[in-house]
Amino acid sequence: MTSTLKELRPVYVVGIGMHRYQFMSDTTYIDLGLAAVRAALADAKIEWPTVQSAYIGRALLPMACGRPILRHLGASGIPIVHVENASASGSTAFRHACIEIASGLNDVSLVLGVDKPMPIARAESLTGIGNLADDAIAPFTHFALLGDQYASRYGVKAEDFALVAVKNHRNGSKNPFAQHQKERTLDEILGGKRISGTLTSLQCTPVGEGAAAVIVASEDGVRALGIDAARAVRVTASVGRSQRVYDNATRYDAMLTEETTKLALAEAGRAPADLDIVELHDAFTVEEVEYVEAMGLCPDGRAIHELKEGAFDIGGRCAVSPSGGLIAMGHPIGPTGVGQIAEIVRQLRGEAGPRQQPNAKIGLAHMVGVGAVCYVHVLEA
Amino acid sequence: MTTGLLKPALYREAGSDADPAHPALLGGACGCGHVFFPMQNFGCERCGRTDLSPRALTGRGRLLASARVHLHAGKHRHAPFTVGSIALEDGPIVRTILVDDGVPFQAGDALTATLVDVHDADGNLRRDLRFQREA
Repeated sequence: MTSTLKELRPVYVVGIGMHRYQFMSDTTYIDLGLAAVRAALADAKIEWPTVQSAYIGRALLPMACGRPILRHLGASGIPIVHVENASASGSTAFRHACIEIASGLNDVSLVLGVDKPMPIARAESLTGIGNLADDAIAPFTHFALLGDQYASRYGVKAEDFALVAVKNHRNGSKNPFAQHQKERTLDEILGGKRISGTLTSLQCTPVGEGAAAVIVASEDGVRALGIDAARAVRVTASVGRSQRVYDNATRYDAMLTEETTKLALAEAGRAPADLDIVELHDAFTVEEVEYVEAMGLCPDGRAIHELKEGAFDIGGRCAVSPSGGLIAMGHPIGPTGVGQIAEIVRQLRGEAGPRQQPNAKIGLAHMVGVGAVCYVHVLEA
Repeated sequence: MTTGLLKPALYREAGSDADPAHPALLGGACGCGHVFFPMQNFGCERCGRTDLSPRALTGRGRLLASARVHLHAGKHRHAPFTVGSIALEDGPIVRTILVDDGVPFQAGDALTATLVDVHDADGNLRRDLRFQREA
């Protein structure tokens, strides 16, 4: 017999902390990680020795980066798990910390996402199976092709996709942790450096570094440590899936998103219309368009129309990427999924300041990663 | 003297039985009915079986999408160039470089495989597979 997360012990996010996402600098990964963890501990108002385990999401830093960071908090001897799952590394680390708390193995766990840009090889290139295009189709070109396919299917224009970037740069301009914090006009976005297909530079996520941390706890942990229960946000669903063989092979990201989101919403007992906030993997503008439809936030082919109507703005029906998303907040890889959780918690507590979605009660975090994998979490105030 | 193929594991100069006029793509098929590209012997992605058979796929297909690549970091590839997603008439979808004749590509365009001269990483002349608009 199996169980869902919601059927096990309740899991709460009780602390969040960030180091701003930024372009590559001389800042060490130790500084990045410690800043986020110390902020999360301070937010939860707990001391480091009360944390019983740590999950580290990273994809670019070399192996075993966790202890070199955490030892500076006092080497407490807790188990440390490193998780690599491409772009979904942080989301996966979060899921497994939640599972540990839900199972009763521990009461308080830390999730830290930390990364710095480094040269890496993708395992897919080492399979021995050949590839017609080799390196000609970089990730941005994969999504440029999907954009062209979407445009042909629904008759939308290049500038329509760019509206996603207008919204997300506007949101990022209100987020002190975002890599890009400048509002951009449609002309600025369309006039930027051309990358691939209709994608321009401001429609693509920046490469950078940063850190995000969250602390998860059981009800016993919340009580024992005197944590303010009113600021605790419950995790009501956690689902991870990987790519199957789909009839439309090129749209695997959207199809994987659709099935993973459906399972997560069913686990939480919610419908797409219940969502007040969504943080999704918008590394490229077309992704947001594809995923809001795949998630059921609007019917197929209607995303651009709804975007123009303001449905996905802060203050709209469902704020999509109020943090600025990957396009503006950034995508340092390991931290990204953890940063999404931090943003949703901040929103559900009503502490998001100028980017606050009014009356936000339910949020969903979504990440895809090359491989391909997809992780979705639902959180509720 | 015939110039060698850049990736002889992926395609051959001779066409398939169904399409002798264009280079064949060297795919495979599983007993479950799954047809895939390129050929591999690790196991079927749909059902896990290992009794996979090579199948020469026709060099014909329809364009699903295209993109002009304006920026590329690779040392041996120079932008701009155009890539496409092509649904082969045998089933698999492949992505590769298109022969760009300057006329904008449209989804649904009929495409055929062709071999073009390229230089490999060592500067040697080779022939590589591309797709072009059907003549």
